[in-house]
Amino acid sequence: MIGYLGLQLLWYFMQIIVSVWYHISIVGNMFESYFISYEVLNKYKSLHIGKLRYLAVVIESEEAHQTSKVIKLLQWLDSVGVKNVCLYDMNGVLKKSKDTIFQIMKNAKSIEEVNEDVTHHAPDHMTLEFVSYVDGKEAVAKAANLIFVENFKRHDIGGELDHQILLESHLNQALQIVGCKGPEPDLLLVYGPVRSHLGFPPWRIRYTEIVHMGSLNFMRYGSLIKAIYNFTKVRHNYGT
Amino acid sequence: MFSLRFPIALKNNLITYPPKRTTKPAPSSHYLHSINSQSHLFPSQSMIVTKCDTMAVVANNIPKVALGDEVEGGTSLDEDLTMPAELKMELMPKHVAVIMDGNRRWAEMRGLPLSEGHVAGMKSLKRMVKLCLSWEIKVLTIFMFSTDNWARSKVEVEFLFSLVERIVNSEIEAIMRERIKISMIGDSSKLPESLQRMITNVEESTKNHSKLQIIAAINYGGKHDVVQACKSVTKKVQDGLLHLEDINENIVEKELQTNCTEFPYPDLLIRTSGELRVSNFLLWQLAYTEFFFNQQLWPDFGKSEFVEALSSFQKRQRRYGGRHSSPSIQ
Repeated sequence: MIGYLGLQLLWYFMQIIVSVWYHISIVGNMFESYFISYEVLNKYKSLHIGKLRYLAVVIESEEAHQTSKVIKLLQWLDSVGVKNVCLYDMNGVLKKSKDTIFQIMKNAKSIEEVNEDVTHHAPDHMTLEFVSYVDGKEAVAKAANLIFVENFKRHDIGGELDHQILLESHLNQALQIVGCKGPEPDLLLVYGPVRSHLGFPPWRIRYTEIVHMGSLNFMRYGSLIKAIYNFTKVRHNYGT
Repeated sequence: MFSLRFPIALKNNLITYPPKRTTKPAPSSHYLHSINSQSHLFPSQSMIVTKCDTMAVVANNIPKVALGDEVEGGTSLDEDLTMPAELKMELMPKHVAVIMDGNRRWAEMRGLPLSEGHVAGMKSLKRMVKLCLSWEIKVLTIFMFSTDNWARSKVEVEFLFSLVERIVNSEIEAIMRERIKISMIGDSSKLPESLQRMITNVEESTKNHSKLQIIAAINYGGKHDVVQACKSVTKKVQDGLLHLEDINENIVEKELQTNCTEFPYPDLLIRTSGELRVSNFLLWQLAYTEFFFNQQLWPDFGKSEFVEALSSFQKRQRRYGGRHSSPSIQ
């Protein structure tokens, strides 16, 4: 009996220790975030943004209604030199906020307006791409359909129906035609309660680094800098 | 809670983690003797070991014994399979996918031959299979060889395929005993003929098993999976089974290679060694998958780490962005 009580006490004591450690770590994270924000920590003062050519931000649709927070996030990104940003939410809430965002982000342009490869344009303005679920799997189905239609036209006029016509490169081209112009992001930040990319276009995340940032309600500048900094330090093998 | 991948990392396991083993690097003959002296373990499930992006080059040192044996000095695999109280059986993910990463780094950190990293990785996979069996996880998908891995040296690639073949052949008895179903996804046409035959045989032999399905992704690429699905749809249209105007994402989904299972979409994806990407793995299928990126190297990913991943999964608010019915798509 005494032994059993002793074990129970030990178990509760361990739970307290773990809980305390957890809360200390949360506070530690907050302090680190503030130190980064106020440029106290030297290593975060200069980011080598060149490696981050295209950034995607996934926001859970309910949180995406907070346009002011989205704009604040974009302003932070602009201030550190991240110029090419793709904004995604599943239900297209961000697409509806597009006009409001461009009104405030006066130096930003839509990806449709930028003719050249967005990863190579001069960094004097931001390029924003707005994406939702329809630009993912549904777009792939549309692109495949487009290829089929072209192929069947050739078949009707005497050509041979060629199953080999459908290659990765053909799907890439067809996706461009149906309106999915954006490149594969180097880094994808997820704001929301779930650690999932929530249906971001699957064709575009082969080697994308994915970082869960927590709720948009609690976004912090320091956390953003840290995520970008960590990305710039990663070595990519790409299968080799 | 320790599984939460905060934007600001809490610790770097690669720096602070002490090696579990203290054995010295063993020459290959000693290594083989060590393995031979161990008894077979029960249950001895299939262990298919590989890494995806950072595969070690180990030429000429393919273990010649059943990979169910332990290496001398290693920890016992007869560990407790009891489900911890923090986990709920009813909230277990049906399908877990794993990118096993870190075998080579594990060996290098300990000054061991690279082959020992793969052996240690096998033990981890065996542990995971045992836990999946015990905790009624239905499907375990393991990323063994990517279409991108062909860029590696021929010696390394041949070694890996040979290793897979030997392991499966040596574990077939355990697979049959435990009623594990083995499936393969990927383009098998480029694999060695002996491996192709083995895969065909084991798939046929286990097709009626239902306790746990292990899906081995070999020469698999997520983009390639989508392309072959689209090609299958083309064929159906040509054969008059489908109309062009009927083609949509659902039609394409049904042709993906993961349609070999009742639960094609992973609920949980685990990637070890601190890498934060999916590396062309199950691109289409991961839309709502919970990601668990862990700092541990794969050989060190054991029961406690798996419990952490499952606990994180179970606690997370599972939301699908309103896709349960029809979303208000824009």
